[in-house]
Amino acid sequence: MSPLVLTLPVALLAGAWLAAWIDRLAPALWGGRAAGPLAPLRDGAALLARPNATTEAPDRLTRWLAPGTYLVLAAAGLSVVPLAPGVAAVDSPVGIVVWGACEALTVVAVFLHGWSPNSPFPLIGAYRYTAIGLPVMLPSMFVLIAAALPAESLSLIAVVEAQREVWNLVRQPIGLPLFLIVGLTLTLRGPFDFADGADIAGGTSAEESGPGRALWQLARLTMLTAFSAMAATAFLGGPLGPGLPAPMWLALKTVAVMLLTILACHALARTVPSRMLHLLWVAALPLSFLHLALAGWVAL
Amino acid sequence: MTLLRRLAASAPPPVYPCIGPGMLDPVERLFASGCARRALSPASAGVLLIAGVVPDRAAAAIDRLHDQVPPPRRTVGWSGADEPSNSLHDAWSGVLSGDGAEPDRLPDEPPNEWRGKGDHGHGGEGMMGGTPYGRPMAMTGEDPRDGLQLDRYTMRVGPFAPMLPPGLELEVTLQGDLIAAARVLQPPFPQEDTASAPPACAARMLRLLGLPHHADRLLRGGRVRAGVLCAVPKGLGAAMPGRDARARLRRWLDGEPGAAQAPEFGALITGLEWHEAILMLNSWSPEALRRAAEAA
Repeated sequence: MSPLVLTLPVALLAGAWLAAWIDRLAPALWGGRAAGPLAPLRDGAALLARPNATTEAPDRLTRWLAPGTYLVLAAAGLSVVPLAPGVAAVDSPVGIVVWGACEALTVVAVFLHGWSPNSPFPLIGAYRYTAIGLPVMLPSMFVLIAAALPAESLSLIAVVEAQREVWNLVRQPIGLPLFLIVGLTLTLRGPFDFADGADIAGGTSAEESGPGRALWQLARLTMLTAFSAMAATAFLGGPLGPGLPAPMWLALKTVAVMLLTILACHALARTVPSRMLHLLWVAALPLSFLHLALAGWVAL
Repeated sequence: MTLLRRLAASAPPPVYPCIGPGMLDPVERLFASGCARRALSPASAGVLLIAGVVPDRAAAAIDRLHDQVPPPRRTVGWSGADEPSNSLHDAWSGVLSGDGAEPDRLPDEPPNEWRGKGDHGHGGEGMMGGTPYGRPMAMTGEDPRDGLQLDRYTMRVGPFAPMLPPGLELEVTLQGDLIAAARVLQPPFPQEDTASAPPACAARMLRLLGLPHHADRLLRGGRVRAGVLCAVPKGLGAAMPGRDARARLRRWLDGEPGAAQAPEFGALITGLEWHEAILMLNSWSPEALRRAAEAA
Protein backbone atom coordinates (compact mmCIF):
# COMPACT_ATOMS: atom_id res chain seq x y z
CA MET A 1 0.00 0.00 0.00
CA SER A 2 1.46 3.37 -0.94
CA PRO A 3 0.82 6.88 0.43
CA LEU A 4 -1.34 7.33 -2.68
CA VAL A 5 -4.13 5.77 -0.59
CA LEU A 6 -4.54 9.25 0.88
CA THR A 7 -5.70 10.50 -2.52
CA LEU A 8 -8.67 8.10 -2.47
CA PRO A 9 -10.99 10.15 -0.20
CA VAL A 10 -10.30 13.29 -2.25
CA ALA A 11 -10.91 11.49 -5.55
CA LEU A 12 -14.09 9.86 -4.25
CA LEU A 13 -15.53 13.10 -2.84
CA ALA A 14 -14.65 15.10 -5.96
CA GLY A 15 -16.16 12.37 -8.13
CA ALA A 16 -19.30 12.23 -6.00
CA TRP A 17 -19.80 15.99 -6.26
CA LEU A 18 -19.22 15.97 -10.03
CA ALA A 19 -21.61 13.03 -10.54
CA ALA A 20 -24.28 14.72 -8.40
CA TRP A 21 -23.91 17.91 -10.44
CA ILE A 22 -24.10 16.10 -13.79
CA ASP A 23 -27.24 14.39 -12.46
CA ARG A 24 -28.75 17.85 -11.89
CA LEU A 25 -27.68 19.06 -15.35
CA ALA A 26 -29.45 16.11 -17.01
CA PRO A 27 -32.99 17.62 -16.94
CA ALA A 28 -31.79 20.20 -19.52
CA LEU A 29 -31.67 17.40 -22.12
CA TRP A 30 -35.44 17.11 -21.75
CA GLY A 31 -36.12 20.85 -21.73
CA GLY A 32 -35.96 21.21 -17.95
CA ARG A 33 -33.87 23.48 -15.80
CA ALA A 34 -30.21 22.62 -15.18
CA ALA A 35 -28.95 23.31 -11.67
CA GLY A 36 -25.71 25.06 -10.78
CA PRO A 37 -22.61 23.43 -9.26
CA LEU A 38 -23.75 24.31 -5.73
CA ALA A 39 -27.02 22.35 -6.02
CA PRO A 40 -25.53 19.04 -4.77
CA LEU A 41 -24.14 20.84 -1.72
CA ARG A 42 -27.52 22.45 -1.04
CA ASP A 43 -29.32 19.12 -1.30
CA GLY A 44 -26.67 17.49 0.88
CA ALA A 45 -27.07 20.23 3.49
CA ALA A 46 -30.88 19.78 3.35
CA LEU A 47 -30.33 16.15 4.35
CA LEU A 48 -27.68 16.83 6.99
CA ALA A 49 -29.84 19.50 8.64
CA ARG A 50 -32.62 16.95 9.24
CA PRO A 51 -32.70 14.25 11.91
CA ASN A 52 -32.48 10.53 11.19
CA ALA A 53 -35.95 8.96 10.89
CA THR A 54 -36.64 6.05 13.18
CA THR A 55 -38.88 3.06 12.63
CA GLU A 56 -40.19 0.59 15.14
CA ALA A 57 -37.64 -2.09 16.02
CA PRO A 58 -35.04 -1.33 13.31
CA ASP A 59 -31.80 -3.31 13.04
CA ARG A 60 -29.59 -0.52 14.36
CA LEU A 61 -26.28 -2.19 13.58
CA THR A 62 -26.99 -2.94 9.90
CA ARG A 63 -28.57 0.49 9.47
CA TRP A 64 -25.13 2.10 9.66
CA LEU A 65 -23.23 -0.94 8.46
CA ALA A 66 -25.02 -0.87 5.07
CA PRO A 67 -24.01 2.64 3.89
CA GLY A 68 -20.63 2.26 5.63
CA THR A 69 -19.92 -1.00 3.78
CA TYR A 70 -21.08 0.51 0.47
CA LEU A 71 -18.69 3.46 0.94
CA VAL A 72 -15.76 1.22 1.92
CA LEU A 73 -16.42 -1.04 -1.11
CA ALA A 74 -16.26 1.98 -3.42
CA ALA A 75 -12.95 3.02 -1.83
CA ALA A 76 -11.54 -0.51 -1.97
CA GLY A 77 -12.57 -0.83 -5.63
CA LEU A 78 -10.91 2.48 -6.53
CA SER A 79 -7.73 1.64 -4.60
CA VAL A 80 -6.58 -0.96 -7.17
CA VAL A 81 -7.03 1.37 -10.17
CA PRO A 82 -3.63 2.47 -11.61
CA LEU A 83 -3.22 6.26 -11.38
CA ALA A 84 -0.25 6.20 -13.76
CA PRO A 85 1.43 3.35 -15.70
CA GLY A 86 2.83 1.00 -13.07
CA VAL A 87 1.48 3.00 -10.11
CA ALA A 88 -1.64 2.22 -8.06
CA ALA A 89 -2.62 3.11 -4.50
CA VAL A 90 -2.77 -0.63 -3.81
CA ASP A 91 -0.63 -2.59 -6.26
CA SER A 92 -2.54 -5.87 -6.18
CA PRO A 93 -1.52 -8.75 -8.48
CA VAL A 94 -5.23 -9.68 -8.58
CA GLY A 95 -6.82 -6.23 -8.86
CA ILE A 96 -9.63 -7.53 -11.06
CA VAL A 97 -10.58 -10.09 -8.41
CA VAL A 98 -10.56 -7.37 -5.73
CA TRP A 99 -12.97 -5.29 -7.82
CA GLY A 100 -15.14 -8.37 -8.48
CA ALA A 101 -15.38 -8.96 -4.72
CA CYS A 102 -16.43 -5.33 -4.21
CA GLU A 103 -19.18 -5.80 -6.82
CA ALA A 104 -20.52 -8.96 -5.17
CA LEU A 105 -20.47 -7.47 -1.67
CA THR A 106 -22.42 -4.42 -2.91
CA VAL A 107 -25.44 -6.72 -3.21
CA VAL A 108 -25.04 -7.52 0.50
CA ALA A 109 -24.76 -3.83 1.44
CA VAL A 110 -27.92 -2.94 -0.51
CA PHE A 111 -29.81 -5.89 0.97
CA LEU A 112 -28.84 -4.82 4.50
CA HIS A 113 -29.99 -1.29 3.73
CA GLY A 114 -33.45 -2.60 2.85
CA TRP A 115 -33.49 -5.06 5.72
CA SER A 116 -32.57 -2.67 8.54
CA PRO A 117 -35.66 -0.40 8.83
CA ASN A 118 -38.08 -3.34 9.45
CA SER A 119 -40.57 -2.04 6.90
CA PRO A 120 -42.31 -3.71 3.89
CA PHE A 121 -41.31 -1.49 0.93
CA PRO A 122 -37.60 -1.33 1.85
CA LEU A 123 -37.59 -5.12 2.24
CA ILE A 124 -39.23 -5.61 -1.17
CA GLY A 125 -36.52 -3.37 -2.67
CA ALA A 126 -33.84 -5.41 -0.92
CA TYR A 127 -35.08 -8.75 -2.27
CA ARG A 128 -35.65 -7.38 -5.76
CA TYR A 129 -32.11 -6.01 -5.86
CA THR A 130 -30.67 -9.32 -4.70
CA ALA A 131 -32.60 -11.18 -7.42
CA ILE A 132 -31.30 -8.79 -10.11
CA GLY A 133 -27.81 -8.54 -8.60
CA LEU A 134 -26.86 -12.19 -9.12
CA PRO A 135 -27.45 -12.38 -12.90
CA VAL A 136 -25.71 -8.99 -13.31
CA MET A 137 -22.60 -10.04 -11.40
CA LEU A 138 -22.11 -13.17 -13.55
CA PRO A 139 -21.71 -11.32 -16.90
CA SER A 140 -19.53 -8.83 -15.05
CA MET A 141 -17.02 -11.57 -14.21
CA PHE A 142 -16.90 -12.77 -17.84
CA VAL A 143 -16.45 -9.21 -19.10
CA LEU A 144 -13.63 -8.51 -16.65
CA ILE A 145 -11.87 -11.82 -17.38
CA ALA A 146 -12.11 -11.01 -21.09
CA ALA A 147 -10.53 -7.60 -20.39
CA ALA A 148 -7.70 -9.34 -18.52
CA LEU A 149 -7.02 -11.91 -21.31
CA PRO A 150 -4.85 -9.68 -23.58
CA ALA A 151 -2.70 -8.86 -20.53
CA GLU A 152 -2.54 -12.52 -19.42
CA SER A 153 -2.74 -11.15 -15.88
CA LEU A 154 -5.35 -10.22 -13.29
CA SER A 155 -3.31 -7.16 -12.27
CA LEU A 156 -4.88 -3.91 -13.45
CA ILE A 157 -1.41 -2.45 -13.99
CA ALA A 158 -0.78 -5.23 -16.54
CA VAL A 159 -4.25 -4.70 -18.04
CA VAL A 160 -3.31 -1.05 -18.65
CA GLU A 161 0.09 -1.97 -20.11
CA ALA A 162 -1.60 -4.39 -22.53
CA GLN A 163 -3.60 -1.47 -23.95
CA ARG A 164 -0.57 0.59 -25.08
CA GLU A 165 -1.14 -0.36 -28.72
CA VAL A 166 -4.90 -0.67 -28.81
CA TRP A 167 -7.62 -0.13 -26.19
CA ASN A 168 -9.76 -3.03 -25.03
CA LEU A 169 -12.77 -1.05 -26.25
CA VAL A 170 -11.55 -1.69 -29.81
CA ARG A 171 -10.55 -5.33 -29.20
CA GLN A 172 -13.78 -6.13 -27.31
CA PRO A 173 -16.45 -3.66 -28.44
CA ILE A 174 -19.37 -5.12 -26.46
CA GLY A 175 -17.38 -5.29 -23.21
CA LEU A 176 -18.06 -1.70 -22.20
CA PRO A 177 -21.83 -1.78 -22.93
CA LEU A 178 -22.12 -4.99 -20.88
CA PHE A 179 -20.04 -3.42 -18.11
CA LEU A 180 -22.34 -0.37 -18.13
CA ILE A 181 -25.17 -2.68 -17.03
CA VAL A 182 -23.01 -3.61 -14.05
CA GLY A 183 -22.32 0.07 -13.32
CA LEU A 184 -26.00 1.00 -13.38
CA THR A 185 -26.79 -1.92 -11.06
CA LEU A 186 -23.93 -1.19 -8.64
CA THR A 187 -24.97 2.45 -8.30
CA LEU A 188 -28.77 1.79 -8.19
CA ARG A 189 -29.44 3.85 -11.28
CA GLY A 190 -32.15 4.27 -13.90
CA PRO A 191 -33.08 1.05 -15.72
CA PHE A 192 -31.32 -1.08 -13.07
CA ASP A 193 -32.47 0.72 -9.91
CA PHE A 194 -34.59 -2.12 -8.60
CA ALA A 195 -33.78 -1.30 -4.97
CA ASP A 196 -35.08 2.28 -4.71
CA GLY A 197 -37.86 2.48 -7.34
CA ALA A 198 -40.80 4.91 -7.32
CA ASP A 199 -43.38 2.10 -7.29
CA ILE A 200 -42.18 1.08 -3.81
CA ALA A 201 -42.01 4.66 -2.46
CA GLY A 202 -38.23 4.86 -2.70
CA GLY A 203 -37.64 1.22 -1.71
CA THR A 204 -34.66 0.60 0.54
CA SER A 205 -34.42 4.37 1.19
CA ALA A 206 -38.14 4.84 1.98
CA GLU A 207 -37.62 5.07 5.75
CA GLU A 208 -34.41 7.11 5.58
CA SER A 209 -33.88 10.78 6.25
CA GLY A 210 -31.13 13.03 7.59
CA PRO A 211 -27.47 12.00 7.80
CA GLY A 212 -28.31 8.32 7.19
CA ARG A 213 -29.89 9.17 3.83
CA ALA A 214 -27.05 11.56 3.01
CA LEU A 215 -24.48 8.83 3.67
CA TRP A 216 -26.39 6.39 1.43
CA GLN A 217 -26.57 8.92 -1.42
CA LEU A 218 -22.88 9.71 -0.99
CA ALA A 219 -22.02 6.01 -1.08
CA ARG A 220 -23.99 5.60 -4.35
CA LEU A 221 -22.12 8.51 -5.92
CA THR A 222 -18.70 7.31 -4.75
CA MET A 223 -19.48 3.86 -6.18
CA LEU A 224 -20.26 5.56 -9.50
CA THR A 225 -16.84 7.24 -9.33
CA ALA A 226 -15.09 3.94 -8.58
CA PHE A 227 -17.02 2.14 -11.32
CA SER A 228 -16.23 4.85 -13.89
CA ALA A 229 -12.52 4.69 -13.06
CA MET A 230 -12.57 0.89 -13.29
CA ALA A 231 -14.36 0.95 -16.67
CA ALA A 232 -11.89 3.58 -17.95
CA THR A 233 -9.02 1.32 -16.85
CA ALA A 234 -10.40 -1.95 -18.22
CA PHE A 235 -11.58 -0.60 -21.60
CA LEU A 236 -10.14 2.86 -22.33
CA GLY A 237 -6.50 2.38 -21.43
CA GLY A 238 -6.74 4.06 -17.99
CA PRO A 239 -3.94 6.60 -17.49
CA LEU A 240 -2.35 6.03 -20.94
CA GLY A 241 -2.35 8.98 -23.31
CA PRO A 242 -0.11 11.55 -24.97
CA GLY A 243 0.77 15.03 -23.73
CA LEU A 244 -1.17 15.34 -20.50
CA PRO A 245 0.01 13.85 -17.17
CA ALA A 246 -1.17 10.23 -16.70
CA PRO A 247 -3.57 10.89 -13.75
CA MET A 248 -5.22 13.61 -15.86
CA TRP A 249 -5.92 11.08 -18.63
CA LEU A 250 -7.44 8.72 -16.08
CA ALA A 251 -9.61 11.54 -14.70
CA LEU A 252 -10.80 12.57 -18.18
CA LYS A 253 -11.68 9.00 -19.15
CA THR A 254 -13.38 8.44 -15.80
CA VAL A 255 -15.55 11.51 -16.37
CA ALA A 256 -16.39 10.28 -19.88
CA VAL A 257 -17.64 6.93 -18.53
CA MET A 258 -19.50 8.78 -15.75
CA LEU A 259 -21.27 10.95 -18.33
CA LEU A 260 -22.24 7.88 -20.34
CA THR A 261 -23.58 6.09 -17.24
CA ILE A 262 -25.58 9.11 -16.09
CA LEU A 263 -27.00 9.62 -19.59
CA ALA A 264 -28.09 5.96 -19.71
CA CYS A 265 -29.60 6.36 -16.23
CA HIS A 266 -31.81 9.28 -17.24
CA ALA A 267 -32.63 8.23 -20.80
CA LEU A 268 -33.54 4.54 -20.44
CA ALA A 269 -36.79 3.28 -18.93
CA ARG A 270 -36.86 0.64 -16.21
CA THR A 271 -38.98 -2.39 -16.96
CA VAL A 272 -40.61 -4.67 -14.36
CA PRO A 273 -38.23 -6.89 -12.34
CA SER A 274 -39.47 -10.25 -13.67
CA ARG A 275 -38.95 -9.15 -17.28
CA MET A 276 -35.52 -7.74 -16.49
CA LEU A 277 -34.55 -11.03 -14.80
CA HIS A 278 -35.60 -12.86 -17.96
CA LEU A 279 -33.58 -10.49 -20.18
CA LEU A 280 -30.50 -10.83 -17.97
CA TRP A 281 -30.50 -14.62 -17.85
CA VAL A 282 -31.61 -15.21 -21.44
CA ALA A 283 -29.82 -12.40 -23.28
CA ALA A 284 -27.08 -10.69 -21.23
CA LEU A 285 -25.54 -13.86 -19.78
CA PRO A 286 -25.20 -15.78 -23.10
CA LEU A 287 -23.95 -12.58 -24.74
CA SER A 288 -21.23 -12.26 -22.12
CA PHE A 289 -20.28 -15.95 -22.67
CA LEU A 290 -19.97 -15.25 -26.37
CA HIS A 291 -17.98 -12.12 -25.62
CA LEU A 292 -15.53 -14.09 -23.47
CA ALA A 293 -15.20 -16.82 -26.09
CA LEU A 294 -14.46 -14.26 -28.82
CA ALA A 295 -11.99 -12.42 -26.58
CA GLY A 296 -10.25 -15.74 -25.85
CA TRP A 297 -10.10 -16.60 -29.55
CA VAL A 298 -8.62 -13.18 -30.40
CA ALA A 299 -6.09 -13.45 -27.56
CA LEU A 300 -4.94 -16.85 -28.81
CA MET B 1 -24.40 24.99 11.78
CA THR B 2 -25.53 28.35 10.46
CA LEU B 3 -23.80 27.79 7.11
CA LEU B 4 -25.34 24.32 6.89
CA ARG B 5 -28.81 25.72 7.60
CA ARG B 6 -28.38 28.54 5.11
CA LEU B 7 -27.31 26.11 2.42
CA ALA B 8 -30.19 23.77 3.32
CA ALA B 9 -32.71 26.64 3.24
CA SER B 10 -31.79 27.34 -0.39
CA ALA B 11 -32.51 23.71 -1.41
CA PRO B 12 -36.00 22.83 -2.69
CA PRO B 13 -38.07 21.79 0.35
CA PRO B 14 -38.81 18.05 0.60
CA VAL B 15 -42.61 17.88 0.69
CA TYR B 16 -44.92 14.88 1.14
CA PRO B 17 -48.32 15.68 -0.37
CA CYS B 18 -51.67 14.46 0.97
CA ILE B 19 -53.83 15.16 -2.06
CA GLY B 20 -57.55 15.77 -1.62
CA PRO B 21 -60.41 15.76 -4.19
CA GLY B 22 -59.74 17.90 -7.26
CA MET B 23 -56.13 18.68 -6.29
CA LEU B 24 -54.13 16.00 -8.10
CA ASP B 25 -53.33 18.07 -11.19
CA PRO B 26 -52.39 21.29 -9.30
CA VAL B 27 -50.09 19.32 -6.98
CA GLU B 28 -48.37 17.49 -9.86
CA ARG B 29 -47.82 20.80 -11.65
CA LEU B 30 -46.46 22.34 -8.47
CA PHE B 31 -43.76 19.66 -8.20
CA ALA B 32 -43.05 19.72 -11.96
CA SER B 33 -42.32 23.47 -11.61
CA GLY B 34 -39.34 22.57 -9.41
CA CYS B 35 -40.18 24.86 -6.48
CA ALA B 36 -40.40 21.86 -4.14
CA ARG B 37 -39.18 18.27 -4.24
CA ARG B 38 -41.80 15.54 -3.94
CA ALA B 39 -40.75 13.19 -1.15
CA LEU B 40 -41.77 9.61 -1.93
CA SER B 41 -42.22 8.76 1.74
CA PRO B 42 -43.13 10.81 4.84
CA ALA B 43 -39.85 9.79 6.49
CA SER B 44 -37.88 11.59 3.77
CA ALA B 45 -40.00 14.78 3.97
CA GLY B 46 -39.76 17.88 6.15
CA VAL B 47 -43.06 19.50 5.18
CA LEU B 48 -46.49 17.85 4.93
CA LEU B 49 -48.71 19.44 2.29
CA ILE B 50 -52.46 19.02 2.74
CA ALA B 51 -53.89 19.91 -0.66
CA GLY B 52 -57.63 20.62 -0.78
CA VAL B 53 -60.32 19.52 1.63
CA VAL B 54 -59.57 15.93 2.61
CA PRO B 55 -62.69 13.86 3.41
CA ASP B 56 -63.17 12.65 6.98
CA ARG B 57 -62.45 9.04 6.08
CA ALA B 58 -58.82 9.97 5.37
CA ALA B 59 -58.27 12.18 8.43
CA ALA B 60 -56.74 9.38 10.51
CA ALA B 61 -54.28 8.60 7.71
CA ILE B 62 -53.11 12.25 7.71
CA ASP B 63 -52.43 12.03 11.44
CA ARG B 64 -50.34 8.89 10.94
CA LEU B 65 -48.40 10.44 8.04
CA HIS B 66 -47.86 13.63 10.04
CA ASP B 67 -46.19 11.68 12.83
CA GLN B 68 -43.98 9.80 10.37
CA VAL B 69 -42.39 13.06 9.15
CA PRO B 70 -39.34 13.29 11.44
CA PRO B 71 -39.61 16.27 13.84
CA PRO B 72 -39.15 19.22 13.61
CA ARG B 73 -41.85 19.24 10.94
CA ARG B 74 -44.43 21.63 9.52
CA THR B 75 -47.81 21.20 7.87
CA VAL B 76 -49.00 23.49 5.06
CA GLY B 77 -52.61 23.63 3.88
CA TRP B 78 -53.24 24.60 0.25
CA SER B 79 -56.62 25.24 -1.33
CA GLY B 80 -55.24 25.60 -4.85
CA ALA B 81 -56.33 29.24 -5.09
CA ASP B 82 -52.94 30.85 -4.45
CA GLU B 83 -49.31 30.12 -5.32
CA PRO B 84 -48.00 27.89 -2.49
CA SER B 85 -44.25 28.06 -3.07
CA ASN B 86 -43.75 30.93 -0.57
CA SER B 87 -45.59 29.15 2.22
CA LEU B 88 -43.69 25.93 1.46
CA HIS B 89 -40.36 27.76 1.67
CA ASP B 90 -41.43 29.53 4.89
CA ALA B 91 -42.43 26.18 6.37
CA TRP B 92 -39.08 24.69 5.29
CA SER B 93 -37.20 27.56 6.98
CA GLY B 94 -39.26 26.86 10.10
CA VAL B 95 -38.38 23.16 9.91
CA LEU B 96 -34.66 23.97 9.66
CA SER B 97 -34.69 26.47 12.53
CA GLY B 98 -36.85 24.17 14.66
CA ASP B 99 -39.14 27.06 15.68
CA GLY B 100 -42.80 26.25 16.21
CA ALA B 101 -42.25 22.54 15.64
CA GLU B 102 -45.46 20.51 15.55
CA PRO B 103 -45.84 17.83 18.23
CA ASP B 104 -47.07 14.29 17.47
CA ARG B 105 -50.79 14.06 16.78
CA LEU B 106 -51.13 10.47 17.95
CA PRO B 107 -49.81 8.82 21.12
CA ASP B 108 -46.56 6.92 20.53
CA GLU B 109 -48.03 3.50 21.30
CA PRO B 110 -49.16 0.41 19.38
CA PRO B 111 -52.50 0.75 17.57
CA ASN B 112 -53.96 -2.28 19.36
CA GLU B 113 -53.34 -4.22 22.53
CA TRP B 114 -51.51 -7.53 22.45
CA ARG B 115 -54.14 -10.14 21.58
CA GLY B 116 -54.18 -12.95 24.08
CA LYS B 117 -54.84 -15.79 21.60
CA GLY B 118 -52.76 -18.38 19.73
CA ASP B 119 -49.78 -20.45 20.80
CA HIS B 120 -47.75 -17.47 21.91
CA GLY B 121 -50.62 -15.16 22.72
CA HIS B 122 -50.19 -13.10 19.53
CA GLY B 123 -53.21 -14.38 17.60
CA GLY B 124 -51.28 -16.52 15.09
CA GLU B 125 -49.97 -20.06 14.89
CA GLY B 126 -46.60 -21.20 16.12
CA MET B 127 -44.23 -18.24 16.01
CA MET B 128 -45.95 -16.74 12.96
CA GLY B 129 -49.04 -14.84 11.87
CA GLY B 130 -51.49 -12.89 13.98
CA THR B 131 -51.53 -9.18 14.61
CA PRO B 132 -49.62 -8.63 17.86
CA TYR B 133 -50.12 -5.02 19.00
CA GLY B 134 -52.03 -4.45 15.75
CA ARG B 135 -49.02 -5.21 13.52
CA PRO B 136 -49.73 -7.88 10.92
CA MET B 137 -47.13 -10.64 10.97
CA ALA B 138 -46.31 -12.87 8.01
CA MET B 139 -47.94 -16.33 7.98
CA THR B 140 -47.26 -19.17 5.56
CA GLY B 141 -49.83 -19.75 2.81
CA GLU B 142 -49.99 -21.38 -0.61
CA ASP B 143 -48.11 -19.55 -3.35
CA PRO B 144 -50.49 -18.99 -6.28
CA ARG B 145 -47.80 -19.72 -8.89
CA ASP B 146 -46.14 -22.94 -7.77
CA GLY B 147 -48.09 -24.18 -4.76
CA LEU B 148 -45.21 -23.82 -2.29
CA GLN B 149 -45.97 -22.71 1.24
CA LEU B 150 -44.55 -19.19 1.43
CA ASP B 151 -44.94 -16.28 3.86
CA ARG B 152 -47.96 -14.08 3.28
CA TYR B 153 -48.05 -10.54 4.60
CA THR B 154 -51.20 -8.44 4.55
CA MET B 155 -50.94 -4.66 4.49
CA ARG B 156 -53.03 -1.63 3.66
CA VAL B 157 -51.77 0.89 1.10
CA GLY B 158 -53.29 4.36 0.69
CA PRO B 159 -55.11 6.72 0.79
CA PHE B 160 -52.06 8.94 0.16
CA ALA B 161 -49.58 6.42 -1.25
CA PRO B 162 -47.47 8.15 -3.95
CA MET B 163 -47.81 5.29 -6.47
CA LEU B 164 -51.63 5.15 -6.31
CA PRO B 165 -54.28 7.78 -7.14
CA PRO B 166 -55.13 9.86 -4.03
CA GLY B 167 -57.92 8.36 -1.93
CA LEU B 168 -57.52 4.81 -3.21
CA GLU B 169 -57.06 2.37 -0.33
CA LEU B 170 -56.08 -1.22 -1.03
CA GLU B 171 -55.65 -4.19 1.25
CA VAL B 172 -53.08 -6.46 -0.36
CA THR B 173 -51.69 -9.79 0.72
CA LEU B 174 -48.13 -10.09 -0.53
CA GLN B 175 -45.88 -13.09 -0.97
CA GLY B 176 -42.56 -11.42 -1.62
CA ASP B 177 -43.72 -8.81 -4.10
CA LEU B 178 -46.39 -11.05 -5.63
CA ILE B 179 -49.95 -9.97 -4.86
CA ALA B 180 -51.68 -13.11 -3.58
CA ALA B 181 -54.95 -11.33 -2.73
CA ALA B 182 -56.22 -7.77 -3.11
CA ARG B 183 -59.31 -5.90 -1.99
CA VAL B 184 -60.34 -2.32 -2.76
CA LEU B 185 -61.30 -0.67 0.55
CA GLN B 186 -61.96 2.87 -0.69
CA PRO B 187 -62.19 4.39 -4.19
CA PRO B 188 -59.94 7.25 -5.36
CA PHE B 189 -61.13 10.81 -4.67
CA PRO B 190 -62.89 12.54 -7.59
CA GLN B 191 -60.49 14.70 -9.62
CA GLU B 192 -60.86 17.43 -12.23
CA ASP B 193 -60.71 16.42 -15.91
CA THR B 194 -57.18 17.87 -16.13
CA ALA B 195 -55.90 15.07 -13.86
CA SER B 196 -57.14 12.51 -16.41
CA ALA B 197 -55.74 14.41 -19.44
CA PRO B 198 -53.37 12.29 -21.59
CA PRO B 199 -50.11 14.13 -20.66
CA ALA B 200 -50.85 13.94 -16.91
CA CYS B 201 -51.68 10.21 -17.10
CA ALA B 202 -48.68 9.37 -19.29
CA ALA B 203 -46.40 11.37 -16.96
CA ARG B 204 -47.47 9.21 -13.99
CA MET B 205 -46.54 6.02 -15.86
CA LEU B 206 -43.21 7.50 -16.97
CA ARG B 207 -42.29 8.30 -13.36
CA LEU B 208 -42.94 4.66 -12.45
CA LEU B 209 -40.63 3.65 -15.31
CA GLY B 210 -37.87 5.77 -13.75
CA LEU B 211 -38.17 8.65 -16.25
CA PRO B 212 -39.05 11.77 -14.21
CA HIS B 213 -37.48 14.19 -16.73
CA HIS B 214 -39.55 12.74 -19.57
CA ALA B 215 -42.64 13.10 -17.34
CA ASP B 216 -41.89 16.77 -16.60
CA ARG B 217 -41.39 17.40 -20.31
CA LEU B 218 -44.88 16.03 -21.01
CA LEU B 219 -46.40 18.25 -18.32
CA ARG B 220 -44.70 21.28 -19.93
CA GLY B 221 -46.44 20.42 -23.21
CA GLY B 222 -43.48 18.65 -24.84
CA ARG B 223 -43.49 15.25 -26.52
CA VAL B 224 -41.84 11.97 -25.61
CA ARG B 225 -40.77 9.39 -28.17
CA ALA B 226 -42.54 6.03 -28.24
CA GLY B 227 -39.29 4.13 -27.47
CA VAL B 228 -40.22 4.15 -23.79
CA LEU B 229 -43.16 1.86 -24.56
CA CYS B 230 -41.01 -1.27 -24.73
CA ALA B 231 -40.44 -1.05 -20.96
CA VAL B 232 -44.13 -1.84 -20.35
CA PRO B 233 -44.66 -5.63 -20.63
CA LYS B 234 -46.92 -6.71 -23.47
CA GLY B 235 -50.33 -8.01 -22.47
CA LEU B 236 -50.30 -6.35 -19.03
CA GLY B 237 -53.86 -5.50 -17.98
CA ALA B 238 -55.27 -6.56 -21.35
CA ALA B 239 -59.06 -6.60 -21.49
CA MET B 240 -58.67 -7.93 -25.04
CA PRO B 241 -55.72 -8.27 -27.48
CA GLY B 242 -54.15 -4.91 -28.29
CA ARG B 243 -55.84 -3.23 -25.32
CA ASP B 244 -53.05 -3.60 -22.79
CA ALA B 245 -51.22 -1.09 -20.59
CA ARG B 246 -48.63 -0.50 -23.31
CA ALA B 247 -51.36 0.39 -25.83
CA ARG B 248 -52.98 2.74 -23.31
CA LEU B 249 -49.67 4.53 -22.72
CA ARG B 250 -49.16 4.77 -26.50
CA ARG B 251 -52.55 6.45 -26.89
CA TRP B 252 -51.78 8.91 -24.09
CA LEU B 253 -48.40 9.76 -25.66
CA ASP B 254 -50.28 10.40 -28.93
CA GLY B 255 -52.57 12.78 -27.02
CA GLU B 256 -55.67 10.57 -27.16
CA PRO B 257 -57.81 10.18 -24.02
CA GLY B 258 -58.11 6.75 -22.38
CA ALA B 259 -61.16 4.73 -21.36
CA ALA B 260 -63.77 6.47 -19.17
CA GLN B 261 -64.01 3.49 -16.82
CA ALA B 262 -61.52 0.78 -15.88
CA PRO B 263 -62.57 -2.85 -15.35
CA GLU B 264 -62.94 -4.15 -11.79
CA PHE B 265 -59.28 -3.98 -10.87
CA GLY B 266 -59.12 -5.68 -7.46
CA ALA B 267 -59.30 -9.09 -9.14
CA LEU B 268 -57.04 -8.02 -12.03
CA ILE B 269 -54.04 -7.14 -9.85
CA THR B 270 -54.24 -10.44 -7.95
CA GLY B 271 -51.45 -12.73 -9.18
CA LEU B 272 -49.32 -9.85 -10.50
CA GLU B 273 -46.05 -8.64 -9.07
CA TRP B 274 -46.23 -5.29 -7.28
CA HIS B 275 -44.44 -3.30 -10.01
CA GLU B 276 -46.68 -4.81 -12.71
CA ALA B 277 -49.79 -4.13 -10.66
CA ILE B 278 -48.82 -0.51 -10.04
CA LEU B 279 -48.00 0.04 -13.72
CA MET B 280 -51.32 -1.54 -14.69
CA LEU B 281 -53.36 0.59 -12.26
CA ASN B 282 -51.65 3.72 -13.54
CA SER B 283 -52.51 2.77 -17.12
CA TRP B 284 -56.05 3.93 -16.31
CA SER B 285 -56.83 7.52 -15.37
CA PRO B 286 -57.73 8.29 -11.72
CA GLU B 287 -61.32 8.98 -12.79
CA ALA B 288 -61.55 5.64 -14.67
CA LEU B 289 -60.32 3.86 -11.53
CA ARG B 290 -62.77 5.78 -9.32
CA ARG B 291 -65.73 4.84 -11.52
CA ALA B 292 -64.62 1.20 -11.54
CA ALA B 293 -64.21 1.11 -7.75
CA GLU B 294 -67.56 2.80 -7.14
CA ALA B 295 -69.35 0.53 -9.61
CA ALA B 296 -67.94 -2.50 -7.77
